[in-house]
Amino acid sequence: MNDADYKELKKGGMMRQAEAGLFSVRLHVVGGRLDTKQLQAIHDAADRFGRGEVHLTTRQGVEIPNVPHDSLSALKEHLAPSGVGVGVCGPTVRTVTACQGCKVCPSGVIDSPELADAVDREFYGKPVPHKFKVGISGCINNCMKAEENDAGIKGWIEPRWAGSTCTFCGVCQTVCPTKAIRTSEDGRAMIVDRDLCIGCGDCITSCPSGGMGEKSRGYRLYAGGKFGRVPFLGKRILGVLKTKEEAVAAISALLDFFRLHGKPKERFGDTLQRTGFPALETHVKEKAGQL
Amino acid sequence: MTTPLLDITGDICPMTFVKVKMGLQKIKPPGKLTVRLKEDALKNVISSLKTEGHRIATVSREGPIFVLEVEKNTKGKT
Repeated sequence: MNDADYKELKKGGMMRQAEAGLFSVRLHVVGGRLDTKQLQAIHDAADRFGRGEVHLTTRQGVEIPNVPHDSLSALKEHLAPSGVGVGVCGPTVRTVTACQGCKVCPSGVIDSPELADAVDREFYGKPVPHKFKVGISGCINNCMKAEENDAGIKGWIEPRWAGSTCTFCGVCQTVCPTKAIRTSEDGRAMIVDRDLCIGCGDCITSCPSGGMGEKSRGYRLYAGGKFGRVPFLGKRILGVLKTKEEAVAAISALLDFFRLHGKPKERFGDTLQRTGFPALETHVKEKAGQL
Repeated sequence: MTTPLLDITGDICPMTFVKVKMGLQKIKPPGKLTVRLKEDALKNVISSLKTEGHRIATVSREGPIFVLEVEKNTKGKT
């Protein structure tokens, strides 16, 4: 087998191991969810074609290691009826990670698995200049580490001050973790600094009078993050995206920008270091409308 | 009748709200309870009070200490 063959296999999620002739097979898992039938099929496949063990990856995936080259096709066929596909590697859109979201987690603001499925359907395995990872956190607690991904999403609560019932007690200002709320100069209004606000909603849940209310719930996008040898935290771009469709459209525009400006083997964050983030925002707004 | 005073400035979460809940249990609706608390207990105590249907009638400050006047929920149990 030559290097080109290995490269092709790798793109299809079958990675050559240190030991000659063996492969670690990456499976297609979205947001870390597998049903029991799928787990059973993976269990059987690992017994039959590997050495009876699986590896849980850092990004919620599953790999079956120690599969001989001549068993790769049979392993794929064995898994297919359960709906477990083989994953991807190389310069593609990778596994979409997600928390359990608002339907399970009491802190959840958005339905992370639902968005993960939509992003996966649209972009998984599609070619890009270099690997591109998407991570979705359902709230500001950010369990999925949005900023470590090429595109990261966080569930976001946007506050709105409604003056009529406010008693200016100062509780919202006190509980705000980033001190984003201040009293206006004339002392008759509370002002939320949108740049400092982290969308946690603490000011709303703590408000005794109902003066601080919820303007909207949505999706906040971070671009250009990565880990690896030289880590870089993604930066927040655009405003609060109101719907799942807007979030998908924005990620689509990021990928489009990456394909236009990225160089082979250059991560999205490095591309953005060259182009600057304002160029990306302009592009996304043009492509995906006024987000 | 004077409003009973509960000082939880020396307590930490979750005892802060546990004590408030116990304090409110001793009061017959529609009674009131005054609670003295520190900044770090504000979020959990107020959000828990709201969740359980109580009303915070007034908020005042004594330097770094917050003082809440809580009206007991007259509908549900505390």
